[in-house]
Amino acid sequence: MSFLANIDRRVFYWILFIALMVPFLNPIGFPIKIAENTRDLYEGITGDSVEPGDVWIINFGYGVSAWSECHPGVTVCAKALLREGAHIILIGPHTDYELTYNHLLETAKEDFDAAEYGVDWVFLGYITGQEAAIAQLASNMRSVYPTDHFGTPLDDIPMMQNVNTWHDVSGVLSSDTGDWGGYFLTMWQEAYGVPMAQIGIAMLGSTGIPRWLAGNYFGMSVGSRGGAELEMLIGEPGDAIIAMDSISVSHLLIVIAVILANVGLLVERGRGS
Amino acid sequence: MPYPTATLDVIGLWTGWVLMLMIYSYPLYKENPVYRFAEHLYIAVMLAVSLTVNFSNVMRMCITPLMQGDITMIVPLVVGLMIYAMLIPEYRWVSRYPIALLVGAGFGLGIRGSIGPNIQDAIVSTITRPTDGGAMAWINFLYIAVGLVCSVLYFLLTYEHSGAMQVPTRVGRLFIMVALGAYFGNTVLFRFTMLTGRAQFFLQVLKLIPM
Repeated sequence: MSFLANIDRRVFYWILFIALMVPFLNPIGFPIKIAENTRDLYEGITGDSVEPGDVWIINFGYGVSAWSECHPGVTVCAKALLREGAHIILIGPHTDYELTYNHLLETAKEDFDAAEYGVDWVFLGYITGQEAAIAQLASNMRSVYPTDHFGTPLDDIPMMQNVNTWHDVSGVLSSDTGDWGGYFLTMWQEAYGVPMAQIGIAMLGSTGIPRWLAGNYFGMSVGSRGGAELEMLIGEPGDAIIAMDSISVSHLLIVIAVILANVGLLVERGRGS
Repeated sequence: MPYPTATLDVIGLWTGWVLMLMIYSYPLYKENPVYRFAEHLYIAVMLAVSLTVNFSNVMRMCITPLMQGDITMIVPLVVGLMIYAMLIPEYRWVSRYPIALLVGAGFGLGIRGSIGPNIQDAIVSTITRPTDGGAMAWINFLYIAVGLVCSVLYFLLTYEHSGAMQVPTRVGRLFIMVALGAYFGNTVLFRFTMLTGRAQFFLQVLKLIPM
Protein backbone atom coordinates (compact mmCIF):
# COMPACT_ATOMS: atom_id res chain seq x y z
CA MET A 1 0.00 0.00 0.00
CA SER A 2 2.94 2.36 0.57
CA PHE A 3 3.29 2.88 -3.20
CA LEU A 4 0.18 5.06 -2.93
CA ALA A 5 2.27 7.78 -1.30
CA ASN A 6 4.77 7.72 -4.16
CA ILE A 7 2.64 7.57 -7.32
CA ASP A 8 4.22 9.57 -10.14
CA ARG A 9 2.32 12.86 -10.26
CA ARG A 10 2.05 12.54 -14.06
CA VAL A 11 -0.20 9.52 -13.62
CA PHE A 12 -2.58 11.67 -11.62
CA TYR A 13 -2.39 14.51 -14.16
CA TRP A 14 -3.25 12.14 -17.02
CA ILE A 15 -6.19 10.67 -15.09
CA LEU A 16 -7.36 14.19 -14.25
CA PHE A 17 -7.00 15.50 -17.80
CA ILE A 18 -9.01 12.61 -19.24
CA ALA A 19 -11.55 12.46 -16.41
CA LEU A 20 -12.37 16.15 -16.79
CA MET A 21 -13.38 15.61 -20.41
CA VAL A 22 -15.76 12.72 -19.77
CA PRO A 23 -18.58 14.80 -18.19
CA PHE A 24 -18.56 17.11 -21.22
CA LEU A 25 -19.17 14.11 -23.49
CA ASN A 26 -21.61 12.37 -21.10
CA PRO A 27 -23.17 14.91 -18.71
CA ILE A 28 -23.86 13.50 -15.23
CA GLY A 29 -26.30 16.15 -14.03
CA PHE A 30 -25.22 16.71 -10.43
CA PRO A 31 -27.86 18.80 -8.63
CA ILE A 32 -27.12 22.51 -8.11
CA LYS A 33 -28.59 24.27 -5.08
CA ILE A 34 -28.81 28.04 -5.25
CA ALA A 35 -26.93 29.80 -2.45
CA GLU A 36 -28.41 32.81 -0.63
CA ASN A 37 -25.55 35.09 -1.66
CA THR A 38 -26.15 34.29 -5.34
CA ARG A 39 -29.89 34.77 -4.99
CA ASP A 40 -29.31 38.14 -3.35
CA LEU A 41 -27.08 39.16 -6.24
CA TYR A 42 -29.68 38.16 -8.81
CA GLU A 43 -32.51 39.86 -6.94
CA GLY A 44 -30.39 43.00 -6.63
CA ILE A 45 -30.16 43.37 -10.40
CA THR A 46 -33.68 42.37 -11.36
CA GLY A 47 -37.28 43.28 -10.55
CA ASP A 48 -37.90 46.27 -8.33
CA SER A 49 -34.19 46.73 -7.64
CA VAL A 50 -33.56 48.17 -11.10
CA GLU A 51 -35.39 50.97 -12.91
CA PRO A 52 -35.18 51.47 -16.69
CA GLY A 53 -32.42 53.98 -17.38
CA ASP A 54 -30.40 53.12 -14.27
CA VAL A 55 -26.67 53.15 -14.96
CA TRP A 56 -24.59 50.19 -13.76
CA ILE A 57 -20.87 49.58 -13.99
CA ILE A 58 -19.57 46.12 -14.82
CA ASN A 59 -15.86 45.72 -14.16
CA PHE A 60 -13.98 42.97 -16.01
CA GLY A 61 -11.48 42.38 -13.22
CA TYR A 62 -10.46 39.06 -14.77
CA GLY A 63 -8.39 37.94 -17.71
CA VAL A 64 -8.98 35.26 -20.31
CA SER A 65 -7.56 32.59 -17.99
CA ALA A 66 -10.46 33.12 -15.56
CA TRP A 67 -13.25 33.12 -18.14
CA SER A 68 -14.48 29.73 -16.91
CA GLU A 69 -14.85 31.14 -13.37
CA CYS A 70 -16.14 34.65 -13.91
CA HIS A 71 -17.58 35.01 -17.37
CA PRO A 72 -20.79 32.96 -17.01
CA GLY A 73 -21.82 35.13 -14.05
CA VAL A 74 -20.99 38.35 -15.90
CA THR A 75 -22.97 37.13 -18.92
CA VAL A 76 -26.08 36.50 -16.81
CA CYS A 77 -25.77 39.86 -15.05
CA ALA A 78 -25.34 41.76 -18.33
CA LYS A 79 -28.38 39.97 -19.78
CA ALA A 80 -30.46 40.67 -16.68
CA LEU A 81 -29.55 44.37 -16.57
CA LEU A 82 -30.22 44.92 -20.28
CA ARG A 83 -33.60 43.17 -19.96
CA GLU A 84 -34.49 45.51 -17.09
CA GLY A 85 -33.73 48.47 -19.35
CA ALA A 86 -30.64 49.46 -17.39
CA HIS A 87 -27.61 51.04 -19.06
CA ILE A 88 -24.23 49.42 -18.65
CA ILE A 89 -20.74 50.89 -18.48
CA LEU A 90 -18.08 48.26 -19.15
CA ILE A 91 -14.50 48.72 -17.97
CA GLY A 92 -11.49 46.41 -17.56
CA PRO A 93 -8.15 46.58 -15.74
CA HIS A 94 -6.59 43.53 -17.42
CA THR A 95 -4.58 43.99 -20.60
CA ASP A 96 -6.71 41.39 -22.38
CA TYR A 97 -9.87 43.37 -21.55
CA GLU A 98 -10.83 43.71 -25.21
CA LEU A 99 -11.01 39.92 -25.66
CA THR A 100 -13.32 39.70 -22.65
CA TYR A 101 -15.53 42.48 -24.03
CA ASN A 102 -15.80 40.75 -27.42
CA HIS A 103 -16.52 37.45 -25.68
CA LEU A 104 -19.36 39.06 -23.72
CA LEU A 105 -20.88 40.38 -26.94
CA GLU A 106 -20.88 36.76 -28.16
CA THR A 107 -22.15 35.07 -24.99
CA ALA A 108 -24.98 37.60 -24.51
CA LYS A 109 -25.40 38.14 -28.25
CA GLU A 110 -29.19 38.35 -28.42
CA ASP A 111 -29.39 40.96 -25.69
CA PHE A 112 -26.57 43.12 -27.02
CA ASP A 113 -27.96 42.82 -30.57
CA ALA A 114 -31.30 44.11 -29.28
CA ALA A 115 -29.58 47.01 -27.52
CA GLU A 116 -27.74 49.95 -29.03
CA TYR A 117 -24.14 50.91 -28.37
CA GLY A 118 -23.84 54.35 -26.80
CA VAL A 119 -27.48 54.29 -25.73
CA ASP A 120 -27.80 51.09 -23.71
CA TRP A 121 -24.17 50.25 -23.08
CA VAL A 122 -20.77 51.77 -23.48
CA PHE A 123 -17.31 50.23 -23.38
CA LEU A 124 -14.86 52.63 -21.74
CA GLY A 125 -12.00 50.16 -21.93
CA TYR A 126 -8.75 49.85 -20.04
CA ILE A 127 -8.24 51.31 -16.59
CA THR A 128 -5.03 51.29 -14.59
CA GLY A 129 -3.90 53.00 -11.40
CA GLN A 130 -5.61 50.72 -8.89
CA GLU A 131 -7.31 52.40 -5.92
CA ALA A 132 -6.45 55.94 -7.04
CA ALA A 133 -8.08 55.42 -10.44
CA ILE A 134 -11.24 53.93 -8.92
CA ALA A 135 -11.45 56.86 -6.46
CA GLN A 136 -11.06 59.31 -9.32
CA LEU A 137 -13.68 57.43 -11.35
CA ALA A 138 -16.17 58.18 -8.58
CA SER A 139 -15.55 61.92 -8.66
CA ASN A 140 -14.88 62.59 -12.35
CA MET A 141 -15.18 59.82 -14.93
CA ARG A 142 -14.00 62.08 -17.72
CA SER A 143 -10.63 62.55 -16.07
CA VAL A 144 -10.08 58.79 -16.16
CA TYR A 145 -11.80 58.19 -19.48
CA PRO A 146 -11.69 61.25 -21.77
CA THR A 147 -13.04 58.94 -24.50
CA ASP A 148 -14.56 55.50 -24.74
CA HIS A 149 -12.50 52.55 -25.96
CA PHE A 150 -13.14 53.49 -29.59
CA GLY A 151 -11.98 57.09 -29.19
CA THR A 152 -15.37 58.82 -29.02
CA PRO A 153 -15.43 61.66 -26.45
CA LEU A 154 -17.82 60.81 -23.60
CA ASP A 155 -19.82 63.98 -24.25
CA ASP A 156 -20.67 62.67 -27.72
CA ILE A 157 -22.09 59.42 -26.35
CA PRO A 158 -25.83 59.79 -25.58
CA MET A 159 -25.77 57.46 -22.57
CA MET A 160 -22.85 59.30 -20.95
CA GLN A 161 -24.11 62.87 -21.32
CA ASN A 162 -25.46 63.06 -17.78
CA VAL A 163 -23.11 60.53 -16.26
CA ASN A 164 -19.86 61.67 -14.69
CA THR A 165 -19.74 60.80 -10.96
CA TRP A 166 -20.88 58.16 -8.48
CA HIS A 167 -24.16 60.14 -8.13
CA ASP A 168 -25.13 59.04 -11.61
CA VAL A 169 -24.45 55.34 -11.08
CA SER A 170 -27.00 52.99 -9.50
CA GLY A 171 -24.67 50.10 -8.78
CA VAL A 172 -21.41 48.34 -9.44
CA LEU A 173 -20.76 44.71 -10.34
CA SER A 174 -17.11 43.86 -10.05
CA SER A 175 -15.99 40.53 -11.42
CA ASP A 176 -12.59 39.73 -10.02
CA THR A 177 -9.63 37.49 -9.69
CA GLY A 178 -7.92 40.01 -7.45
CA ASP A 179 -8.26 43.33 -5.71
CA TRP A 180 -10.48 45.47 -7.94
CA GLY A 181 -13.68 44.57 -6.12
CA GLY A 182 -11.97 45.72 -2.92
CA TYR A 183 -11.12 49.06 -4.55
CA PHE A 184 -14.74 49.60 -5.53
CA LEU A 185 -15.75 48.54 -2.02
CA THR A 186 -13.58 51.17 -0.33
CA MET A 187 -13.90 53.95 -2.90
CA TRP A 188 -17.54 53.59 -3.95
CA GLN A 189 -19.55 51.45 -1.54
CA GLU A 190 -17.97 52.58 1.71
CA ALA A 191 -17.29 56.15 0.65
CA TYR A 192 -20.63 56.95 -1.04
CA GLY A 193 -22.93 54.01 -0.33
CA VAL A 194 -23.17 52.89 -3.95
CA PRO A 195 -24.64 49.34 -3.97
CA MET A 196 -22.17 46.78 -5.19
CA ALA A 197 -21.81 43.06 -5.66
CA GLN A 198 -18.97 40.81 -6.65
CA ILE A 199 -18.73 38.01 -9.20
CA GLY A 200 -15.49 36.48 -7.97
CA ILE A 201 -13.39 33.41 -8.49
CA ALA A 202 -13.81 30.64 -5.90
CA MET A 203 -10.76 31.89 -3.98
CA LEU A 204 -12.49 35.20 -3.31
CA GLY A 205 -15.36 33.49 -1.52
CA SER A 206 -13.46 33.58 1.76
CA THR A 207 -13.08 37.37 1.60
CA GLY A 208 -16.29 38.19 -0.27
CA ILE A 209 -18.82 36.19 1.72
CA PRO A 210 -17.98 38.00 5.00
CA ARG A 211 -18.48 41.28 3.13
CA TRP A 212 -21.86 40.04 1.90
CA LEU A 213 -22.77 38.95 5.45
CA ALA A 214 -21.72 42.39 6.71
CA GLY A 215 -23.93 44.06 4.10
CA ASN A 216 -21.09 45.65 2.11
CA TYR A 217 -21.93 43.55 -0.95
CA PHE A 218 -25.63 43.14 -1.70
CA GLY A 219 -24.77 39.78 -3.26
CA MET A 220 -21.91 37.60 -4.30
CA SER A 221 -21.38 34.94 -6.94
CA VAL A 222 -18.58 32.54 -6.08
CA GLY A 223 -16.71 30.93 -8.96
CA SER A 224 -18.17 28.74 -11.68
CA ARG A 225 -20.64 27.40 -9.16
CA GLY A 226 -22.03 30.92 -8.69
CA GLY A 227 -22.18 31.31 -12.46
CA ALA A 228 -24.15 28.06 -12.75
CA GLU A 229 -26.56 29.24 -10.04
CA LEU A 230 -27.09 32.53 -11.88
CA GLU A 231 -27.74 30.64 -15.11
CA MET A 232 -30.40 28.63 -13.27
CA LEU A 233 -31.96 31.79 -11.84
CA ILE A 234 -32.26 33.44 -15.25
CA GLY A 235 -33.46 30.12 -16.70
CA GLU A 236 -30.85 29.85 -19.46
CA PRO A 237 -28.33 27.03 -19.00
CA GLY A 238 -24.92 28.01 -20.29
CA ASP A 239 -21.21 27.28 -19.99
CA ALA A 240 -21.15 27.17 -16.18
CA ILE A 241 -23.91 24.56 -15.81
CA ILE A 242 -22.25 22.45 -18.51
CA ALA A 243 -18.86 22.74 -16.74
CA MET A 244 -20.16 22.02 -13.22
CA ASP A 245 -20.15 18.22 -13.71
CA SER A 246 -16.53 18.35 -14.79
CA ILE A 247 -15.60 20.61 -11.88
CA SER A 248 -17.35 18.26 -9.43
CA VAL A 249 -15.40 15.32 -10.89
CA SER A 250 -12.15 17.25 -10.44
CA HIS A 251 -13.00 17.92 -6.78
CA LEU A 252 -13.89 14.27 -6.28
CA LEU A 253 -10.56 13.19 -7.77
CA ILE A 254 -8.68 15.52 -5.44
CA VAL A 255 -10.48 14.05 -2.42
CA ILE A 256 -9.66 10.50 -3.61
CA ALA A 257 -6.02 11.49 -4.23
CA VAL A 258 -5.69 13.02 -0.75
CA ILE A 259 -7.20 9.90 0.87
CA LEU A 260 -4.97 7.52 -1.13
CA ALA A 261 -1.80 9.52 -0.42
CA ASN A 262 -2.61 9.64 3.29
CA VAL A 263 -3.33 5.90 3.41
CA GLY A 264 0.03 5.30 1.72
CA LEU A 265 1.80 7.65 4.13
CA LEU A 266 0.24 6.02 7.18
CA VAL A 267 1.18 2.55 5.96
CA GLU A 268 4.76 3.74 5.31
CA ARG A 269 4.96 5.28 8.79
CA GLY A 270 3.54 2.11 10.33
CA ARG A 271 6.28 0.05 8.69
CA GLY A 272 8.93 2.53 9.77
CA SER A 273 7.92 2.33 13.41
CA MET B 1 -21.40 30.53 -30.03
CA PRO B 2 -20.96 28.82 -33.44
CA TYR B 3 -17.74 27.18 -34.59
CA PRO B 4 -15.76 29.80 -36.51
CA THR B 5 -15.72 29.54 -40.29
CA ALA B 6 -13.40 32.39 -41.29
CA THR B 7 -9.95 31.02 -42.20
CA LEU B 8 -8.06 33.31 -39.81
CA ASP B 9 -10.36 32.41 -36.91
CA VAL B 10 -9.94 28.70 -37.57
CA ILE B 11 -6.16 29.11 -37.73
CA GLY B 12 -6.27 31.06 -34.44
CA LEU B 13 -8.36 28.35 -32.81
CA TRP B 14 -6.04 25.53 -33.84
CA THR B 15 -2.95 27.56 -32.91
CA GLY B 16 -4.40 27.97 -29.42
CA TRP B 17 -5.15 24.25 -29.27
CA VAL B 18 -1.63 23.24 -30.29
CA LEU B 19 0.01 25.79 -27.94
CA MET B 20 -2.16 24.53 -25.07
CA LEU B 21 -0.93 20.96 -25.65
CA MET B 22 2.66 22.24 -25.88
CA ILE B 23 2.28 23.84 -22.45
CA TYR B 24 0.60 20.73 -20.99
CA SER B 25 3.48 18.59 -22.26
CA TYR B 26 5.35 19.75 -19.13
CA PRO B 27 3.01 18.31 -16.47
CA LEU B 28 1.91 15.37 -18.60
CA TYR B 29 5.40 14.37 -19.75
CA LYS B 30 8.41 16.42 -18.61
CA GLU B 31 10.23 19.64 -19.41
CA ASN B 32 11.09 19.69 -23.10
CA PRO B 33 11.96 22.16 -25.89
CA VAL B 34 8.38 22.25 -27.15
CA TYR B 35 7.12 23.35 -23.74
CA ARG B 36 9.90 25.92 -23.40
CA PHE B 37 9.11 27.40 -26.80
CA ALA B 38 5.42 27.79 -25.90
CA GLU B 39 6.30 29.25 -22.51
CA HIS B 40 8.67 31.84 -23.99
CA LEU B 41 6.18 32.68 -26.72
CA TYR B 42 3.45 33.21 -24.13
CA ILE B 43 5.60 35.49 -21.98
CA ALA B 44 6.74 37.47 -25.02
CA VAL B 45 3.20 37.92 -26.34
CA MET B 46 1.83 38.92 -22.93
CA LEU B 47 4.64 41.43 -22.46
CA ALA B 48 4.06 42.88 -25.92
CA VAL B 49 0.31 43.17 -25.33
CA SER B 50 0.85 44.73 -21.90
CA LEU B 51 3.35 47.23 -23.30
CA THR B 52 1.07 48.18 -26.18
CA VAL B 53 -2.02 48.57 -24.02
CA ASN B 54 -0.23 50.67 -21.41
CA PHE B 55 1.53 52.82 -24.00
CA SER B 56 -1.80 53.45 -25.75
CA ASN B 57 -3.27 54.36 -22.37
CA VAL B 58 -0.52 56.92 -21.71
CA MET B 59 -1.11 58.35 -25.19
CA ARG B 60 -4.86 58.61 -24.56
CA MET B 61 -4.68 59.89 -20.99
CA CYS B 62 -1.64 62.13 -21.14
CA ILE B 63 0.00 62.82 -24.50
CA THR B 64 -3.16 63.56 -26.49
CA PRO B 65 -4.54 66.08 -23.92
CA LEU B 66 -1.07 67.63 -23.70
CA MET B 67 -0.90 68.07 -27.47
CA GLN B 68 -4.36 69.64 -27.32
CA GLY B 69 -3.06 72.29 -24.92
CA ASP B 70 -3.64 70.80 -21.45
CA ILE B 71 -0.22 71.67 -20.03
CA THR B 72 -1.03 70.19 -16.58
CA MET B 73 -0.41 66.81 -18.17
CA ILE B 74 3.31 67.58 -18.06
CA VAL B 75 3.24 66.79 -14.32
CA PRO B 76 2.24 63.08 -14.51
CA LEU B 77 4.44 62.65 -17.55
CA VAL B 78 7.54 64.00 -15.75
CA VAL B 79 6.73 62.09 -12.54
CA GLY B 80 6.27 58.92 -14.58
CA LEU B 81 9.57 59.42 -16.41
CA MET B 82 11.36 59.96 -13.08
CA ILE B 83 10.74 56.30 -12.21
CA TYR B 84 13.03 55.28 -15.06
CA ALA B 85 15.90 57.04 -13.27
CA MET B 86 16.33 53.83 -11.28
CA LEU B 87 17.97 52.38 -14.38
CA ILE B 88 20.87 54.86 -14.01
CA PRO B 89 22.76 54.05 -10.77
CA GLU B 90 24.00 57.61 -10.05
CA TYR B 91 20.49 59.08 -10.47
CA ARG B 92 18.59 56.26 -8.77
CA TRP B 93 17.61 58.61 -5.93
CA VAL B 94 15.36 60.55 -8.35
CA SER B 95 13.09 57.52 -8.71
CA ARG B 96 12.38 57.53 -4.97
CA TYR B 97 10.16 60.61 -5.25
CA PRO B 98 7.53 59.14 -7.60
CA ILE B 99 7.64 55.86 -5.66
CA ALA B 100 7.10 57.75 -2.38
CA LEU B 101 4.22 59.60 -4.03
CA LEU B 102 2.63 56.33 -5.20
CA VAL B 103 3.06 54.58 -1.85
CA GLY B 104 1.80 57.60 0.09
CA ALA B 105 -1.25 58.04 -2.11
CA GLY B 106 -1.93 54.30 -1.97
CA PHE B 107 -1.77 54.18 1.82
CA GLY B 108 -3.82 57.34 2.21
CA LEU B 109 -6.58 56.13 -0.09
CA GLY B 110 -6.44 52.62 1.36
CA ILE B 111 -6.83 53.74 4.95
CA ARG B 112 -9.67 56.08 4.05
CA GLY B 113 -12.00 53.30 3.01
CA SER B 114 -10.61 50.22 4.72
CA ILE B 115 -11.58 50.76 8.33
CA GLY B 116 -15.33 50.59 7.67
CA PRO B 117 -15.77 47.46 5.56
CA ASN B 118 -12.64 45.55 6.56
CA ILE B 119 -12.67 46.13 10.32
CA GLN B 120 -15.81 47.80 11.69
CA ASP B 121 -18.44 46.05 9.53
CA ALA B 122 -16.66 42.71 9.83
CA ILE B 123 -16.65 42.92 13.64
CA VAL B 124 -20.30 44.03 13.79
CA SER B 125 -21.28 41.21 11.44
CA THR B 126 -19.36 38.69 13.55
CA ILE B 127 -20.88 39.66 16.90
CA THR B 128 -24.43 40.12 15.65
CA ARG B 129 -26.51 37.04 16.49
CA PRO B 130 -28.47 35.46 13.63
CA THR B 131 -32.15 36.35 13.40
CA ASP B 132 -33.16 33.54 11.05
CA GLY B 133 -31.71 30.41 9.48
CA GLY B 134 -32.34 28.05 12.41
CA ALA B 135 -29.80 25.88 14.21
CA MET B 136 -27.31 25.89 11.32
CA ALA B 137 -27.08 29.68 11.39
CA TRP B 138 -26.35 29.57 15.13
CA ILE B 139 -23.68 26.89 14.71
CA ASN B 140 -22.11 29.01 11.97
CA PHE B 141 -22.30 32.13 14.14
CA LEU B 142 -20.69 30.43 17.14
CA TYR B 143 -18.03 28.80 14.98
CA ILE B 144 -17.06 32.14 13.44
CA ALA B 145 -17.20 34.00 16.76
CA VAL B 146 -15.07 31.42 18.62
CA GLY B 147 -12.69 31.16 15.67
CA LEU B 148 -12.27 34.94 15.46
CA VAL B 149 -11.65 35.48 19.18
CA CYS B 150 -9.25 32.54 19.50
CA SER B 151 -7.34 33.45 16.33
CA VAL B 152 -6.90 37.04 17.50
CA LEU B 153 -5.74 35.78 20.93
CA TYR B 154 -3.11 33.66 19.20
CA PHE B 155 -1.47 36.86 17.95
CA LEU B 156 -1.51 38.44 21.41
CA LEU B 157 2.21 38.11 21.90
CA THR B 158 2.60 40.35 24.96
CA TYR B 159 1.32 37.51 27.22
CA GLU B 160 2.75 34.04 27.50
CA HIS B 161 0.43 31.43 26.00
CA SER B 162 0.03 29.52 29.26
CA GLY B 163 -2.55 29.23 32.04
CA ALA B 164 -5.89 30.69 30.99
CA MET B 165 -4.42 31.66 27.62
CA GLN B 166 -3.23 28.18 26.71
CA VAL B 167 -6.48 26.61 25.50
CA PRO B 168 -7.85 29.56 23.48
CA THR B 169 -4.52 30.20 21.75
CA ARG B 170 -4.18 26.51 20.82
CA VAL B 171 -7.73 26.54 19.49
CA GLY B 172 -6.84 29.74 17.63
CA ARG B 173 -3.85 28.05 16.04
CA LEU B 174 -6.11 25.21 14.87
CA PHE B 175 -8.55 27.69 13.35
CA ILE B 176 -5.70 29.45 11.55
CA MET B 177 -4.45 26.13 10.17
CA VAL B 178 -7.94 25.22 8.99
CA ALA B 179 -8.34 28.66 7.38
CA LEU B 180 -5.00 28.46 5.60
CA GLY B 181 -5.81 24.94 4.43
CA ALA B 182 -9.18 26.04 3.12
CA TYR B 183 -7.58 29.01 1.37
CA PHE B 184 -4.98 26.78 -0.24
CA GLY B 185 -7.70 24.31 -1.22
CA ASN B 186 -9.66 27.12 -2.85
CA THR B 187 -6.55 28.15 -4.77
CA VAL B 188 -6.00 24.63 -6.06
CA LEU B 189 -9.64 24.20 -7.00
CA PHE B 190 -9.65 27.52 -8.87
CA ARG B 191 -6.79 26.15 -10.98
CA PHE B 192 -8.85 23.03 -11.58
CA THR B 193 -11.71 25.13 -12.85
CA MET B 194 -9.29 26.74 -15.28
CA LEU B 195 -8.24 23.24 -16.34
CA THR B 196 -11.89 22.35 -16.82
CA GLY B 197 -12.19 25.31 -19.20
CA ARG B 198 -9.19 24.00 -21.15
CA ALA B 199 -10.69 20.48 -21.28
CA GLN B 200 -13.87 21.99 -22.71
CA PHE B 201 -11.84 23.98 -25.26
CA PHE B 202 -9.90 20.82 -26.20
CA LEU B 203 -13.13 19.03 -27.09
CA GLN B 204 -14.75 22.06 -28.72
CA VAL B 205 -11.91 22.53 -31.20
CA LEU B 206 -12.19 18.86 -32.15
CA LYS B 207 -15.95 19.47 -32.65
CA LEU B 208 -16.75 16.71 -30.13
CA ILE B 209 -18.97 19.13 -28.20
CA PRO B 210 -20.61 22.37 -29.37
CA MET B 211 -18.80 25.70 -28.96
